[in-house]
Amino acid sequence: MTSLRIFFIGGLISFRALFNWLSPWIYIPSLLVAPIFQILLFAYIGRSAGIESDTFFVIGNAVQYSAIPCLFAMANTVAGERYTQTLGIVLVTPARRIPLFLGRSLPVVVNGFVVSMFSLAVGSLLLDVSIPPSRWLPLALVVAVAAASCTGLGLVNAALGLRVRETAVLSNVLFGVLLVFCGVNVSLDALPDWMATVGRWLPLTHAIEAARELAAGAGLGSVAGLIGTEVALGIGYGAIGLLALRLLEVEGRRRATLEIQ
Amino acid sequence: MLVVEATDLRRSYRTRTGIVRREKKEVEAVRGVSFGIERGELFGLLGPNGAGKTTTIKMLITLLLPTGGRATVLGQDVVGAPREVRRHIGYVFGGDRGLYERLSALDNLRYFAELYGVAPREQRQRIGSLLELVGLTGREKERVEGFSRGMRQRLHIARGLLHDPEVLFLDEPTIGIDPVGARELRATIATLREQGKTILLTTHYMFEADELCDRIAVIRDGLIVAEGSPAVLKQRVSAGHVVEVETFGLPPSRTDSVRSVQGVRSVSVEERGQAQVLLVQVEPGAEVTSGVLAELLGTRVGRVSSREPTLEDAYVELVSGA
Amino acid sequence: MLVIAYWLHLKMLAASVFDGIFQVIWPLFFATTAFLVYRQADDPAVMVYAGLGSAVMGIWSVVATTASSLLQRERWLGTLELLVAAPTRFALVLVPITTAMASLGLYSLTATLLWGWLLFGITVPVASPVLFVLAIAVSIFSIALIGFLLSVAVVRYRTAWAMGNMLEYPGWLVCGFLVPLTIFPTWVGWIAYALPPTWGMQAIRSAASGGSPWRDVLLCLGLGMVYGLVGALLSETVLRSARRHATLSLT
Repeated sequence: MTSLRIFFIGGLISFRALFNWLSPWIYIPSLLVAPIFQILLFAYIGRSAGIESDTFFVIGNAVQYSAIPCLFAMANTVAGERYTQTLGIVLVTPARRIPLFLGRSLPVVVNGFVVSMFSLAVGSLLLDVSIPPSRWLPLALVVAVAAASCTGLGLVNAALGLRVRETAVLSNVLFGVLLVFCGVNVSLDALPDWMATVGRWLPLTHAIEAARELAAGAGLGSVAGLIGTEVALGIGYGAIGLLALRLLEVEGRRRATLEIQ
Repeated sequence: MLVVEATDLRRSYRTRTGIVRREKKEVEAVRGVSFGIERGELFGLLGPNGAGKTTTIKMLITLLLPTGGRATVLGQDVVGAPREVRRHIGYVFGGDRGLYERLSALDNLRYFAELYGVAPREQRQRIGSLLELVGLTGREKERVEGFSRGMRQRLHIARGLLHDPEVLFLDEPTIGIDPVGARELRATIATLREQGKTILLTTHYMFEADELCDRIAVIRDGLIVAEGSPAVLKQRVSAGHVVEVETFGLPPSRTDSVRSVQGVRSVSVEERGQAQVLLVQVEPGAEVTSGVLAELLGTRVGRVSSREPTLEDAYVELVSGA
Repeated sequence: MLVIAYWLHLKMLAASVFDGIFQVIWPLFFATTAFLVYRQADDPAVMVYAGLGSAVMGIWSVVATTASSLLQRERWLGTLELLVAAPTRFALVLVPITTAMASLGLYSLTATLLWGWLLFGITVPVASPVLFVLAIAVSIFSIALIGFLLSVAVVRYRTAWAMGNMLEYPGWLVCGFLVPLTIFPTWVGWIAYALPPTWGMQAIRSAASGGSPWRDVLLCLGLGMVYGLVGALLSETVLRSARRHATLSLT
């Protein structure tokens, strides 16, 4: 029972405590305005090059942008503990680690979902992209899966953040990697082979593909395979992240590095 | 002409509390401060933390706009002619901040020399002699991030003197410095006074004010409660003497009853290790020891002694208002 | 005084290698994506267009993202008070700082040009090198002036960095770096031509292709000065407010 409470309530509280982007002065510019401009930027590049369609770029960038909140929030809520010097205090409690860290990821996923859906809606409006109304619900599902899967990567990022000092730079670099490799603005078959291979092992790629097919009118059943792969990848990254966190905790206790900033 | 003149200076701050129900409170930090500093004087502003010393200085150096009253430095109004004022004053404050960490001491000085419009031809010579004055010659090429607090403080003084200002404002310059370093700093300050500079010094170290200042103003809760030379201030309490009573486990209520003993002018308590020492200021000619001890029946009493008051006693009395 | 101030701040900014590397890498992600998209259009002229434009992106990025927190950093260092207490006009104190920041964009410029050449085979022909360098220098300076205005405009907000970051993408979008202005509706063009980097970019392109960049250079510089002037006026107001509300030393 406690684990459930730690998961839901504890997770939400830590999110509010450590994710200081929740102030409207940061939230609106960074998470609501910026993705719209990223969509516009690449949509117009696409128009100028005569490549693909507005829908292509709107979906790609809207989904990809969830990486910013997912990566940063995850890193902040874990590595941020080191900064506020509460990491040792938290780890000394008997709370089970999985609900503890996974609980923190739930609000992150929800937040990522909100950011993506918002930019998808506004981007479509601005660029006059029409997505059949019946497809919005399955799209929302795919976006949620994407956010969850990216948060899995976020857990790995968070673990790395406990070791590396410059967590913000790391998150930004990961964001850039996702931008280039995940078929966000260039479909996988237009990428060199090695890049496409890397892309297929990253989160977001399959979700973006699924979302594009849905927007084109496909049914949920036909993209089930892609969704499945995305879920599997997300779980994989999440597991690696949790394992890494555990290892770092053990190492931190052995080498007394938990409190070091 | 007075070099620095403050007339009924006032400064209040508006603070906001709470997020949902915003309450605005007005805090009066300086409530009508007036004083004047003559040319070549070393004037001390003495007071506890939060008394308004820093706020007063910041108004005089044009970093804060007063909410009431006025002040002039070298005849120029600090509100109306801030740039004129800034050309002729130097500002030095204590602490670790205020320098560009990644630059060397020399580069820091060169930067501020530029900001103060020191002619390029003069810069080299002046920086050299200032480094010598503060004892940093030979260390000027090192990055400030490696400097100890004492070194930073000395660099601050050098920075404040780059443009050869007539008036220097020193805000707690020896705070946090080891005794030896502080002593050297004070010697430097004394030298500057001898060179004819007018100096306003804020501090809460009594002996420093006693040693350096020609005149002192004691500030408490935004108001000046006493002004005069150190000798004059000491005289305010020197009529009479101080009885020190060492007690262990003194209940707070006893202080009030001791205060009510006839002949007692004021009482304050000082913690010294395990003991609470009652400092009883006694009216001249009064004999209070037996009366005080009677009030302390039931409390363990250690040593009882009687002595002449010091500037610190004067300060404590003025500042605690008891 | 301006030169020395510029030089000393450049020294300080250049000292952090880690930050410098990131300032170079970040625009490269976007440049690479742009190249990958344009590559499908199979038109070498378009690649040159993108190659040159993306090189200038870094200058805009470094200023948009760091200028907004400039005053906050000085406040944190404890030096803001000292800068204000000096008799030099505040505008003249800040402009060398933002110019030093903008100059760091040169690293990004060089890196992006090299990247485009090595990985995508984009060779940017530079017909008149002197004019090219002049156009770049003028662009850097006028972007620095915008940075100065930005630093003063957002000083009241403790979360100013988010405001500055928000301007990064729009700057890339409308100033003609990666996308020609012709594909935008007219009203976007009005906005674009009110921004110095647009003219700077045009100047750089003209100089590279052998045309005459003088009109663009002058417009870039002139517009930049206007922004700088607005910033100077604003800075006096901001300072007065800070002195009234005692916010110079708050962290």
